[in-house]
Parts: sequence; structure tokens; C-alpha cells
Amino acid sequence: MSIRTSTILAAMASAMIASAASAEIKVGFIGSLSSDTGLSTLRGAEIAIEELNADGGVLGQQIVLVKADTAEDPTEGVKAYEYLAESEEVDFIISGSIDDVSLGWLPRMQEFQIPTLDTWTSYVGIIDMIVEDYETMKPYFMNIASDEALATLYIDFGKDVLREKMGWKSVVILQEDTAFGGAINGLVTDALAPNAGIEVVDTIVYDITTNDFAPLFSRAQDSGADFIYLISSVNSQVVSSQYVKLQVPMGMTGVNVAALGQEFWEDTGGAAGGISTLSPVPSVGFKLDPVSQAFVDTYQAKYKSRPVMPHFNGFNAYHGVKQAMAAAEEAGGFNNTSWVTAMEKQDITLKLDGETWLRYAFWGNDEIEPRTGRTYPHNARFDITEPYNEASPSMVVIQWYEDGTSAVVYPDKYKTGEFTVPSWVKK
Amino acid sequence: MNLRWYHFALWALFILVMALIPELVSKGTLRIIIFANFLAIFAISWDVLSGRTGYISFGHPFLIGIGAYTSAILTKRFDVPIEYAIPAAVLMTMVGGIIVFLPALRIKGSYFALVTLAFMELIYQLVQVVRPDLTGGTRGMSGIETLTRGAVNGYYLSASLMVVVALSMWLLMRTQLGTALSAIGMNEESVRGSGLSTTRLKLFAFLTSAFVAGLGGAFYVHYLGSIAPRALFDINFLFTIIVAALIGGASTIIGPVIGAFFLTFLLEYLRPYLPGAERYFIYGMIALVLYMYEPKGLIQLFSNAWNSLFSRRESAGNQNSDQAGKQSDAL
Repeated sequence: MSIRTSTILAAMASAMIASAASAEIKVGFIGSLSSDTGLSTLRGAEIAIEELNADGGVLGQQIVLVKADTAEDPTEGVKAYEYLAESEEVDFIISGSIDDVSLGWLPRMQEFQIPTLDTWTSYVGIIDMIVEDYETMKPYFMNIASDEALATLYIDFGKDVLREKMGWKSVVILQEDTAFGGAINGLVTDALAPNAGIEVVDTIVYDITTNDFAPLFSRAQDSGADFIYLISSVNSQVVSSQYVKLQVPMGMTGVNVAALGQEFWEDTGGAAGGISTLSPVPSVGFKLDPVSQAFVDTYQAKYKSRPVMPHFNGFNAYHGVKQAMAAAEEAGGFNNTSWVTAMEKQDITLKLDGETWLRYAFWGNDEIEPRTGRTYPHNARFDITEPYNEASPSMVVIQWYEDGTSAVVYPDKYKTGEFTVPSWVKK
Repeated sequence: MNLRWYHFALWALFILVMALIPELVSKGTLRIIIFANFLAIFAISWDVLSGRTGYISFGHPFLIGIGAYTSAILTKRFDVPIEYAIPAAVLMTMVGGIIVFLPALRIKGSYFALVTLAFMELIYQLVQVVRPDLTGGTRGMSGIETLTRGAVNGYYLSASLMVVVALSMWLLMRTQLGTALSAIGMNEESVRGSGLSTTRLKLFAFLTSAFVAGLGGAFYVHYLGSIAPRALFDINFLFTIIVAALIGGASTIIGPVIGAFFLTFLLEYLRPYLPGAERYFIYGMIALVLYMYEPKGLIQLFSNAWNSLFSRRESAGNQNSDQAGKQSDAL
């Protein structure tokens, strides 16, 4: 072999090695980089990727993460998805998007057919789209229980606790003017009265920039309702702290997204006692299984800025990315059909004291959920019937107490405290 | 119309460049240009009304939204073919244009701007509460029929639409009608004093603007495949349209196009380096500095650059100064 030939062969070998080394799996993050919920998904994905890379990566390749901010704007979401798909050519997308943002980029997902996992959006309408058009929608997975399942279990809370334990018969809905707020309002209004025996006597819709809630609380009191059902996902701190500072003489529960974060107490200046909210699992005040606790420990060692504790979607992203990569290993890549089949079979059951505590799996395509009587293809597997042995419950109710602690107050299996009204409200 | 050969040459060059772009850039870049094309259409539409007549509209998303929602509802809820839905959407938007026009009969200046802003807020509330089964309510609609698939097809469609709109408006503004509209912006009383009906002229401007907004809105929603009230009836969307027109150069046609491309590319090119909200800060700073430095917009900067280049040539003995100066101002 001449020197020239050996040199060329050596160069070719070097090039091949370099090429193999530079081959990588690209994961795209789509979501808001300025919200606690968006950051929870991002950080959950980052930790999962670090752990996977430390174990040798996926398909023999290292995983890299590319971020695309949606700024919680639907059009920016479309641009972000296009950027990930066509500029970055990612293999898989993990989303921490809110409802209308996910709905905005869904047509792009259908076009590009990139495997995509949503960790925050719970809109059952997206699951309906999978039911109606499985072939086009099949790369899409949602590993949070759909809002319909959340509402179904929440109605149980209404019946078991609000109606039977507290004796409340009427409610006034105080709803922030957002897409999420409107949707939850519809579900609660439709289901609370017929199923829990609680009548909706008034609905107050307010703008997200509202900073004086005194007139709204006065109107709520004038309605004669027994309690307030708050639906707030954007600016929950202000309404919560004013409820406490004004000592509104009626109970308030509902959906309060800020209360899902560990910073809620500080954000309200300690004016959060008595606030309760429906929460996907896991949440603040939630007992964690060893695997989830290890994730939280890693998270808190790595990130010193808020959110100091990942929201539920951070857990979803952590386990979801690992499941997506395991599916890729099994399918030999992210080929649409084989990856989807492998992803549909992913199943992680996390136990606490020998009991099923959390489960990351998906409903089968033709599997009918017995209580609602419908299918939930590619939706997180949930359990809305006691004793919740099949999977995680679709939601829990958590409450902040006046001493700054928080606890899960419903359902009984996950309970770490009792539901109560603040000290200034007559029982 | 006072058309010269170089007008045709410049437009031909512009169309040729736009036609060749898919051969020269990546698909990711094409996607950026598609959004720039739509923003250019909206900015031209705003400029026809506000840049020319001086009636500053803060309610332009109201018109764009009517076009977008009408076409989306007709195609998704009533299975109307797109080829009928889009003209119907444009007509509906022109009706909206008349609604916006009515306050202009009595008020102007900041009062008119505030009333138009109220129109945007009004429709934002309406689409969420009135027949959410049709509008999709607060979440909007997804799965709306799209006209194209793929970056290249989307590019050609949006670019064709933008070029047709830009060329049509440019030709229109070179007529006496266009001159009269600009005159309204300078001194409405003088136009009235010269015997022209300013009411009819303004109505024409509002309807033309609404026509372009409706057309752009309808095509936009059939490009996106989704629509949400929060995305359309949003103050940021409104300001992006206005800033594109102002930063590019108001009261011109090519100015809003340049402004739209500049803003869209600036934001997207910052994305890999500043993926979060920081890029909006940089974007705002650059827009502010540019506008303070040259209130007449980028078109004026280009014109100045052309003229200074030409002046050097002139000093070297080039005798075609008049023509070159006119070329830079032609669009």
C-alpha cells in the first residue's frame, strides 16, 4: 500500500468516525420559556436526556435538546414548531404548551408527522381528533389525563366533600377570561349540578389584567351562593391573595394554577391560606414514590431558580422523554408507524408502600374507559374509580393552609390533610 | 399613472427574485418568508388606510379576523369549498370595513384610533361567547382545511398573493385616486375645498383596506390550519403590523414589505441565540432605534444610500442622475 493510499484510507476512516460521533438524536422542546409550567417541562426533559446520555444515549447516539419558545402565543407556537421541524429537523418533540397553543401547531404535527408528546395540555378535543383520524394524528401523545377525566373525578370531590361534608348546595363561578377558563367553566357548569347536586347560581368572567377583586367578591357574595369556584390559570396570585386579605366570608376552591407551584405561598406574600385547587398528579403536598423523589432531588440540586419544585408536567416530561427514547430503541428509530406502536406499549408503574401510586402508560386505541364509556387513544392512562389500583387518579385536590403548609385533601387514598375553610369563614 | 420602463424593470426583478428564492434557501427559511409575506399583506392593508389617509386604525386585526374566521367557519363547520369561502370572507370583511368607516365620518385622530381599538376588543369578546360551537370559543379551531402542504408550496402561494396585492396597490396609488387619498392624509380640509368628496374617498380607502385585510386573513387561516382569538385579536399582533409599516416606510408600498421581512427575519434569526423572551427586547430596541434614526423608515435609508452612491457616480461624470434618483423612489 502506497503512502498516498494509506493516507486517503486513514482520512476516510477519520471522516467516518467523526461522522458517527457527530450523529445525534435531536429532541425539540416547544413551550413557554418564561412560565413555571413551560420551564417544568423543559427541565424534566433536560434531566431525562442527561441521564439517558450518561447511559450511552439512544440507538448508540447522544441526545441533544433544542428549544423553541412559544411565548404562550398560538401563532408563535406554529412558528416554533416549523422551526423545530424544518430548521432543526428534530426527531421528537416534547411540548409544554397550553391548550390553544397546542391546537395552533397541531396541523403542523399532522403535516410533518414528527412524534410529539404533550405534557401540559389536557384538552379532550385533541384526543377526539385522534379518535376521528388516527392515521394523521397517531404521532401525537398526551401524557396528562384529559380535562374530561379531570372534571369527572372533580365532580366526585364536589359530591363527596363539598356537598356531603361541607353541606354546600350552590356555587358562583369566578372565571378568568382565557381559553382554559372557558373550557373548564363549561365542564363544571354542565356536570356539577346534575351529578353533585350543586347549583351554579352565577358566573363572573373577569379579564386577566384585573387587579381589584373587591367588586367581584361583593357580587359573588350577593349571589347568595355557598362557595366560589375559581378558574384561574394566568394570574392566580392576585385573586388568591385578595380573597385572603379581604377575608371573603365564603369558601373558595376550583382550579388555581399558581397554587400548584411551591412558590405560591411566597408569591402571595403568605396570603394563600385556605386556597384549594384541582391538580393533575403529582402536585405540592403529594407523597412521592422513590423514583419520583429521586427525580425531584436531582431537579433541586440542578436548578436554583423557580420553579424550585417541578410542576406535574415536569414529571410527565421526565418520564415521557424516557419512554419516547425507549420506544425509539425498540422501533429502531423514530419511524412513524413502528415508533408509534412501541410508544403505545410503554408502561411505567411507580409504587409506594407496595401500592400503585403513579403510572405512565397510554390507553389502548379501542379500550373503553368503563366510567365515561369512551376511548382515549394516546391519552395518559388514568383511573377515576376507587381504589385507583389500575393507574394514577386523573387529579387530586390540594389545599394550602394558613400556616403555609399544603396537603392533598382528595381522594382518600392520596390524602395527606383535611379539606377545610379558612378561619374567617363560618363553617 | 406616469409609468416608466424602470418601474416595470424593478417589479420584474422583484418577481424574479421572489420566484427564485425556493432554489436558494432552506425550507426553514421559506417558512419564515411565508410569515413575512402575510405580515407584508397586513401591513400594506393597514398602510392603505392609515398611512395614506392619516386615519390611524388600531383595529386592523378586527378586519383580518373577520376574513379569517368567516372562511374558517364556512369551510370547517359548513363544508363550503375554499374557493367560495374566501370570496365570501372578503365580502364579509368589506362589510366590516364599512363598520370601521362609520366613526371616521365624525371623529379623527386619537379618538378614531381608540374607537377602532374598541372594535378589536369587541370582536375578541364576541367570538368567545357568541356561538362558540361555530367559532371554537376561547380555544379557537384546529384542523381547518389548508390550501397547501409543504414549505415550497406555501411559499409560492403566499408570495404570489403578496406580489399581486403589492403590485395592485402600487398601481392604484399611482392613479389620481391614490393621490387624492394621500392628500387626505396631508390636509383633509383642502381636499374637500377642492371639490372632492372626502367621504367617498375615505370609504374607498376603508373598503380597499378591508378587501386586502380580508383576503390576507382568509389565506392566512388556510395556511395556518388553525385559528385562536388570542392570536388574532391581540395587541402584539396589531403592533407588529403597524411597526412593519412604519419601520419599512409608511405611505409607500414596498416600505411595509421591507418592514415585514425585516421584523420577521430579525425575530426568527435571533431564536437560536435567544430562544426566550429576550429576543423581543432586542427586536423592540432595534425597531425603536431605527425609527428614531429615520422616521421615514428603511425605504428612506435605502433611498439615501442609493442617492449617495449615485452622487459619487455623478461626480465621476455620470449624467443619469435624475433617472437613478427616480428609480430609488419608484416603489
